[in-house]
Amino acid sequence: MTTPALEAIGLTKRFRGPGGHSLTAVDGIDLTIGSGEIVAFLGPNGAGKTTTVDMLLGLTSPSGGTVRVYGEAPRRAVVDGRVSAVMQTGGLLPDFTVRETIRAIAALHGRPDRVDTVVERAGLGKLADRLVQACSGGEQQRLKFALALVPDPDLVILDEPTTGMDVGARQEFWDTMRAHAADGRTVVFATHYLAEADAFADRTVLMSHGRIRADGPTAEVRAAYGGQTMTIRPPADVVGVDGIDRAWLDDVRRAVAPLGVTDLEVSSASLEAAFLALTGAPETDPGPSGAATYTPTDLPTVAQEALQ
Amino acid sequence: MSTVTITDTEHPVGTGRRTARPVALTYAGLDLKRQLRDRVGMFFIVALPAFLFFVFGMGDDEAYGSANVAMYVMVSMAAYGAVTATTTVAGSAATEQTMGWGRQIALTPLPSLTFVAIKTAVAMLVAAVPIALIYAIGAATGSSGNTVDWLASAAIVWFGSALFAVYGLAMCLILKGENASGIASGLIVIMSFLGNVFTPMDGIILEFGRFTPLYGYAGLARYPISEGYLPIDAGHDPVWLLLANVGSWTVIFAALAVWGLRRRRERV
Repeated sequence: MTTPALEAIGLTKRFRGPGGHSLTAVDGIDLTIGSGEIVAFLGPNGAGKTTTVDMLLGLTSPSGGTVRVYGEAPRRAVVDGRVSAVMQTGGLLPDFTVRETIRAIAALHGRPDRVDTVVERAGLGKLADRLVQACSGGEQQRLKFALALVPDPDLVILDEPTTGMDVGARQEFWDTMRAHAADGRTVVFATHYLAEADAFADRTVLMSHGRIRADGPTAEVRAAYGGQTMTIRPPADVVGVDGIDRAWLDDVRRAVAPLGVTDLEVSSASLEAAFLALTGAPETDPGPSGAATYTPTDLPTVAQEALQ
Repeated sequence: MSTVTITDTEHPVGTGRRTARPVALTYAGLDLKRQLRDRVGMFFIVALPAFLFFVFGMGDDEAYGSANVAMYVMVSMAAYGAVTATTTVAGSAATEQTMGWGRQIALTPLPSLTFVAIKTAVAMLVAAVPIALIYAIGAATGSSGNTVDWLASAAIVWFGSALFAVYGLAMCLILKGENASGIASGLIVIMSFLGNVFTPMDGIILEFGRFTPLYGYAGLARYPISEGYLPIDAGHDPVWLLLANVGSWTVIFAALAVWGLRRRRERV
């Protein structure tokens, strides 16, 4: 049997909060992740995902339990370059250029030979000489990803990796990630976007309040997480410039309440899909878009401008 | 694993990974370059003290101790530049940690002590820039003194500026935020006036100034020239007083830095 990439037993982290109150951020997690798995840590903000990631990387020591990365202590695995991460709270120096940032970290890993490979892998070639402070949030996130690739790790841990990316950048990021994972690397990522777990992870670990609530194939966990969502299209005469008419919405709430519907969420969900279709994922088939359910006149101004 | 690292010529033996060791020098070089590129920072570190030297006594050949007034002012301004340099670099090191760069570094094999050593080296190298420049300007414009004056004062200015690396670190650990470094180096200007670095002081303000952090350091740097005698006949400082000043402030700054570090850790 091969050593698992990650093995946590009874992993616990308690913080001492203000006024002596003890806050349990991670509450006895048991988790084994095998080599080559792609696993999502899914959960709302404050579920304990980041704290767990910190312990897996040896940045925070657990209050209880053990954690092993490829059979070693996390810090050892970091020193050996077997594990690396894109951290939510990891920062960049604004006055380094993109290439200098990578060179600096590569020097500390003793891997100056990796700079060019990593620049190419993360698609940073065109940005290499730009100052970090001139990069967009998404570009900075890609740079952090490049830094994680420097030691040529077997396991990459990503904590909310697509924060600050627009839809197109997010898509592009996951494409890069997919290519990386295709080499048989292990990828663990924390996210609060159900869609990201859905699209990318084979296995999803659902966390809330510091505990694992579900752990299994993503499709199964999704069913347990939120069930299915129903979308309805309101009649055109109740939709104004400010959105759906409030009085009409109240009528709908009253009408569905006897059926046991407790929550009614109003969102412009199709906007993301529309935006992506318009601004273009680069590899999209430009063939007839018969599936599109919108007409250009329905699009918000921003998207229309993008068309021109 | 399905990928094979292409044999790299720098590590001919074994796989690149196992033999890889941090190249601290490359990191220090990049960090130094970054500091020197910071125009605003370098203005306060190099241009301002050079300008003040020009204003306060460049070329003034009136005798002063074993040298002349120009030499005395030159040492003071070099001290001001060096102190601003170490404060800025050490302060930015603390700010970098707050911004999360420290966490990026923590994911490399570099031991934290080596990181501190790198930062110290960078701070001292940046501090050497204003010293070298102002001493060169001084040499070209008539600062004169004996060899011991030149060498001893330069050495004291350079090594002594390390104290203000501790100061910069402490300030930025306590104040946090992006402006911390600016506040720390701004306070250096005020402390330079009180420390008798800019215009010579006398009377009550001198009595008060003797207790401020730059007083002992600047006094020691000029000691080879003045032997403790103050300009405008304001009095004499024995060497023990200057040493006591430096020693006390070293303890105070170090204690503040440790306190700031502890306070920060508790918030995690």
